[in-house]
Amino acid sequence: MASAYIWTQGDPIGAVKRLLNILRRQAPDAEIGSIGTTGSARKLIGAMLHADVVKNEITAHAVGTLSRHADVRTIIEIGGQDSKIILIEDGIVKDYAMNTLCAAGTGAFLSSQAKRLEIPIEAMGDMAMQSQSPAKIAARCTVFAESDMIHKAQAGYSKMDLVAGLCRAVAANYLNNVGKGKQIVSPIVFQGGVSKNKGVLAAFQEELGEKIHVDADSHLMGALGAAILSQKKTTHRKPFDFSMLQMEYVTRAHICSGCTNNCEIVQFYRGDTLLDSWGKRCEGSVG
Amino acid sequence: MKDRMETIRSFSCLENFERGDINCTKLAILHLVMHMKIGLPKALLYYRYGVLWETFFHELGFDVEVSADTSKETLEIGTKTTLDENCLPLKIFMGHVKSLIGQCDRILVPRFSRTSKTEEYCVRFWGLPDVVQNTFPNAPIISYNLDIGLHRSEAAAFIKIGHTLGKSKSAAFQAYRAGCRAQQRLEQQNMRVQSTQLHKSDKKILIAAQPYLIHDAYVGGQLQKMIAQQGVTPVFSDRCNRRLCRALSKEISNDLYWSLNKEMIGAIELCKNQVDGIILLTAFPCGSDALVNELVLRRVQNVPIIQILMDEHTAPAGLETRIESFVDILAKRRPYA
Repeated sequence: MASAYIWTQGDPIGAVKRLLNILRRQAPDAEIGSIGTTGSARKLIGAMLHADVVKNEITAHAVGTLSRHADVRTIIEIGGQDSKIILIEDGIVKDYAMNTLCAAGTGAFLSSQAKRLEIPIEAMGDMAMQSQSPAKIAARCTVFAESDMIHKAQAGYSKMDLVAGLCRAVAANYLNNVGKGKQIVSPIVFQGGVSKNKGVLAAFQEELGEKIHVDADSHLMGALGAAILSQKKTTHRKPFDFSMLQMEYVTRAHICSGCTNNCEIVQFYRGDTLLDSWGKRCEGSVG
Repeated sequence: MKDRMETIRSFSCLENFERGDINCTKLAILHLVMHMKIGLPKALLYYRYGVLWETFFHELGFDVEVSADTSKETLEIGTKTTLDENCLPLKIFMGHVKSLIGQCDRILVPRFSRTSKTEEYCVRFWGLPDVVQNTFPNAPIISYNLDIGLHRSEAAAFIKIGHTLGKSKSAAFQAYRAGCRAQQRLEQQNMRVQSTQLHKSDKKILIAAQPYLIHDAYVGGQLQKMIAQQGVTPVFSDRCNRRLCRALSKEISNDLYWSLNKEMIGAIELCKNQVDGIILLTAFPCGSDALVNELVLRRVQNVPIIQILMDEHTAPAGLETRIESFVDILAKRRPYA
């Protein structure tokens, strides 16, 4: 399987171009038979690549994980901007929850704290595992967690203990917010970018008292799900044309002044061709 | 008041009026009163009493102006004019009131407190006229109190508004009765439509929430549209038989005292076997919903439920993800149901 996990760095279109070039280098002879997109920018990228399937991340994650762990009952997923819990019974999604207003306890939080502590995010997990006495860091809200961490650092805790404390805070925060009121039944699979962090995994295992599986491709489950769904959906499409990546893709956002709703319309162009547009709240708005 | 004086001047017997001719003055006042315009903010309890209010004022011979559907601008104005800590529906309400100032002679802002000895409204409704008057000192508010706990009936409250507007007891009472009938007709009509929808085999989602969230164009309207786009019929918790809902609410909790929440959970109990899923729609930071929805999530079993929290979000992406995945769950469940 050719795969890559890269950051969008605020530019999803550029990231997809980079990603496709990486994939092409990994499998130069392969043809692209179908395309599925998922995640927050699924519409944008779906329009850009003429995807066969544009699927929300809950369903994509469930499908992806079920293809590897058919007996899974609980999926804990913590990604870059959101976190979710998916409960499965007899191979179908029974219930799910997502983080609500804030992005507390997601990968974005860990990476900003890693930056503050000047350690590479990939090293956080190993560092946390070395700690003998993790610092206690408030888990209710990440704004509090951050100020708590600064106080602990000033009180003289080592970086190792701070990192271990942060990992525990992420797990506790998740269970208090996203997992609140949900019955977490084994087998449990932990995935998303944050699942690569051994410290968070250890914290979850300690909190739940259960063994938690982390797939070798745990960061790719959503992509895998979207791929499986697109494979099912596709009907003899033209092979994907890589020269498309040379084209210029532009999004233009404007505020429609047709009525008092002031919809924020985004129009998506390839060169001068309008591919798609979205953001309309009402019938009247232009775009 | 200035334009009132102009109307009086344009009145045909101006000279007599200035000389103080009693009959003419009466006539002039009558003319004014007849053309007085009452503004109704299309928010909060408008979605429950709107037709009653409109009919009441029409019957008494007044013009009525209902503010336009909530738009982004309404919310922006509301957010600017109220405290940050107020809830989303109250911010929307303020936006509506602001849009009516200058357009009407009076704006109706009722005070709702207790609806029976054991039931009441959220405290925001208790203080609504005060909050509005303090926010907009020159808003020409008229109000009535619904406080049945104090042995005062709704009719008495309406007679009192009639009195403030110079109408007799009997005229106000008649108008109130006509209003009740009109409101009831509409509600029965809505219930009939919903009950046919509930008996169809289409996929259905119950939106359980305060009426002013479900039917607000900006909040629930958006949600309804997204649900319909997924090929699912939305049905509403406020379009069920209220008396039945109040009785059934005891199945979930005996101790609730918020009228609207009580009816909402009764509707869940009533419809849960007829719908494929339930969406609990709530607005940030609603105190009563926070408690009651948690109760529903814990006590109502065997039907998929999600809670959706709305705030001043502008990007609909998060809402879309939640609706899409919820509908996916329903699609997968159905063959097993």
